[in-house]
Amino acid sequence: MVPALGLLAVFYAGALVGALRVSFLPLGGNIGDASPAAWQALFSDPAFVDALVFTLRITAVSTVLAAVGGVLLALALRGRGTGIRVIGALPVPVPHLIVATSAVLWLAPGGLADRLLGALPLDLIRDSGGIGVIAVYVYKEAPFIALLVLATMGQSLRGREEAAMVFGAGGLQRAAWVLWPAIRTPLVLGSVIVAAFAIGAFEVPLTVGPNYPPTLATYAFESTQGDVIAGEGRAAAALLVSGVLATALAAVAVRLARSVEGG
Amino acid sequence: MRILTKRAGGLAAVSATVALVAALALGACGSGGDEPEDGSSASFAELQSAAEGQTVRWWMFGGDARINAYVDDEVIPAAERLGIELERVPVTDTAEAVQRVVAQRRAGQTDEGKVDLIWINGENFAAGKDARLWLEDWVDELPNADLVDFEDPTIATDLGVPTDFQEAPWSRAAFVFAADSAVTPDPPSSFGELLDYARNNPGRITYPAPPDFTGTSFVKQVVLAKGEDAAFAYLEQLKPLMWEEGEKFPKSEAELNDLFANGQVDFTMSFDPSFVRTAVVNGQFPRSTRPFLLEGGALVNTSYVTIPGDAANPEGAQVVANLLLEPALQATKADPRTLGIPTVLDPARLSPSQRRLFERAPESPHLLDDLGDVKQELPAARVAPLEERWQREILR
Amino acid sequence: MAEPLRQRLTQAVLVGLFVVPLAVIALQAVADSWRAPSLLPQQLGWRGFEVAFGTGGAASAIVNSLAVALLTTAICLLVGWPAARALGGRLLPRNGLIALLIALPLLMPTYLAGFGLTEWFIRLGIDGTLAGLVLAHVVLALPYAILILLSGFNRTVDELEEMASTTGAGPLRRLLWVTLPSMRPALGAAALLSFLVSWSQYGSSLAVGAGRSTLPIVMLPFVRSDPQVGAAFAVLFVVPALIALTFAARSQRSPL
Repeated sequence: MVPALGLLAVFYAGALVGALRVSFLPLGGNIGDASPAAWQALFSDPAFVDALVFTLRITAVSTVLAAVGGVLLALALRGRGTGIRVIGALPVPVPHLIVATSAVLWLAPGGLADRLLGALPLDLIRDSGGIGVIAVYVYKEAPFIALLVLATMGQSLRGREEAAMVFGAGGLQRAAWVLWPAIRTPLVLGSVIVAAFAIGAFEVPLTVGPNYPPTLATYAFESTQGDVIAGEGRAAAALLVSGVLATALAAVAVRLARSVEGG
Repeated sequence: MRILTKRAGGLAAVSATVALVAALALGACGSGGDEPEDGSSASFAELQSAAEGQTVRWWMFGGDARINAYVDDEVIPAAERLGIELERVPVTDTAEAVQRVVAQRRAGQTDEGKVDLIWINGENFAAGKDARLWLEDWVDELPNADLVDFEDPTIATDLGVPTDFQEAPWSRAAFVFAADSAVTPDPPSSFGELLDYARNNPGRITYPAPPDFTGTSFVKQVVLAKGEDAAFAYLEQLKPLMWEEGEKFPKSEAELNDLFANGQVDFTMSFDPSFVRTAVVNGQFPRSTRPFLLEGGALVNTSYVTIPGDAANPEGAQVVANLLLEPALQATKADPRTLGIPTVLDPARLSPSQRRLFERAPESPHLLDDLGDVKQELPAARVAPLEERWQREILR
Repeated sequence: MAEPLRQRLTQAVLVGLFVVPLAVIALQAVADSWRAPSLLPQQLGWRGFEVAFGTGGAASAIVNSLAVALLTTAICLLVGWPAARALGGRLLPRNGLIALLIALPLLMPTYLAGFGLTEWFIRLGIDGTLAGLVLAHVVLALPYAILILLSGFNRTVDELEEMASTTGAGPLRRLLWVTLPSMRPALGAAALLSFLVSWSQYGSSLAVGAGRSTLPIVMLPFVRSDPQVGAAFAVLFVVPALIALTFAARSQRSPL
């Protein structure tokens, strides 16, 4: 345990502390020179609140859809051969940016879908609802969750399901009493990971998201595009807010899961 | 003021290639090259011997295959002949290099910096200058600096910020527009005509949303042509006639280029005057694409290289900066077969043989050989308020 | 619906959903010219790969990325295994602080650490070194490895190990013949994710690599500015990742 915790504490937590410092001292220096200017600028910007709300909405929808999709995908893939399981997990090794670029190639005006169908009925890229962003996240994360959940869907689960069938349990009952307890924890944890990722990543909204509002992470990135030094302070502050948000969500999810578990 | 024009070469192309090779070979042997007759030649010679054996890391945008090829195939070998190993470090955005220098500053580093040279411009340079990140007072010591007209405001100031000899000019930028001559054989020549075009062809025009650099530059041009309030009135008028009725904007020049390439809009724009040539070679734009200017001229700008104060190899970096200004290398860069980007050198200060290096470049339909009147830049301080005003009034 | 037909249908849907949209990337990589309204490229060619391997520096970037990713995977497994074991197979450790520390890289935005990494690693003296780069990747991938290994250390494994020890098998034998085989799927998944996290790292490689080229770093500048070269890089990126995925999928056949 110690080596792992040691590594994380020294090399990661140290970097986080550095990031916190950047939000007060973009150019370094002594604590005496610290200024909350970046934080003030952040909280007084109306775009920040819009970005916060938009981020939460996108995250919630993407996570739920990815979780449901992931479980369905896992059910379809379990026990099948290597080939089909690789296909089902294909989006996992592809970076988010490439998937987003592919989405643009297919779904943007003048894209492949347009050329195939004449015109798309729906606007999926840069639409104000963020549907494009959600679609890319679900496309990438459902297979990821399926991967996590599949690990627990081994032979022993099959055995228990069959036993339940023998005892006369119907499909829904089997799902609630046998399947759910087995996949519950990786599903919850996987969902937390997906949600945290959606809160903190900027490449996808940058590529397919609406011009306004940005997500918190995109807002942070765009802050560095103007004055790179002052922008860094604001970006660090915005990302810290995202991180705290994700941690709070995770804490809630874990507490809920624990209370169900009875621990 | 006119930018150096390229004249058709014809047969001169062959003899000029020979001259080019000879110039490179001559210019690069030993230390010195084009030394001026004043005292700075002595200290520069010292600099060059100190630079021998150094490895210079040049952080620059890595996504342009032609510029990469120019650096790899022309500049790096030339630096090698001076005993310097030049390493090109690709970044997605200059801000990334600046952020590294800032982080090094935060860590208290003073002379082991891993960034020796940065291809930089505008806001990034200004932010670094404010924070005193850059090496000071070195550009005027370069021998080849004599070939550059530092009285030229587009060289002495970078997007409105005085360079104060902290960044050395390297390349030219000019804001040009482009249209497909097969679709739009007669592009507008003024903003007024652009608005008329939009009225007759609604939904075919757009520009990147500020604070994207290209988008901001477009808005700046409108402001320069009309004055700020009239400019915003113009943009408001234009908005409903734009692509997607002005409800959506591309976020970057790359996105606008995609829309243009796929026939969704009729015009695109860039600060890179050779961008049409590059995109045609990339296969992105149809061969019939042609660049054009609005209001009879272009916003002209210079690309620079700067040296962080904490660079590990500042001597080598200065020698490379000087090398970039070698007439032979500048001529190669101006040749459309390589890049087709105009030179920063002042033709009045070149010797006849040096001037001849620039004459053998062929013309290209994808390059403008005349950039018209030079439009003066807005002061740097006006940019952020303009961007914010645009976001308030046009975007939301 | 008959079983084989249902399987065929699932296959078709999955291929259509996952393979086709991503396969266009491979097509874009060899499309010298591909514009609307043409459904297929107007001109095919190798420019994308020529540039990627030429001035794009793909070859050395791939070697670097591969070395770093393999080292990261090895360290994550070596360090994550005892940590997962110590957490007692409990996915939600009692000690909230420990859970938080382990989960931190998963919860925090990836780019947040980037703001502090350069300065911190300079102070630690490992900035720009291979070791520093690997360490930066390891701390980002470790939580995934621990999480997955944890889910593998379930009760059945404990029971099997107990059975093995009652039959007199020593610790090494138990490890080799009981624990490792039964942990194979979890090990496969943990290795895969550690590899992928390192293989796709951009922010941390930029922050502490000090210019050392990795595949994401040389690839990203091209992605928006030169679609064909970007797509060629994407192919070079995805192929090894897919190979890793296939290995991991093979390990999923759990003996349990």
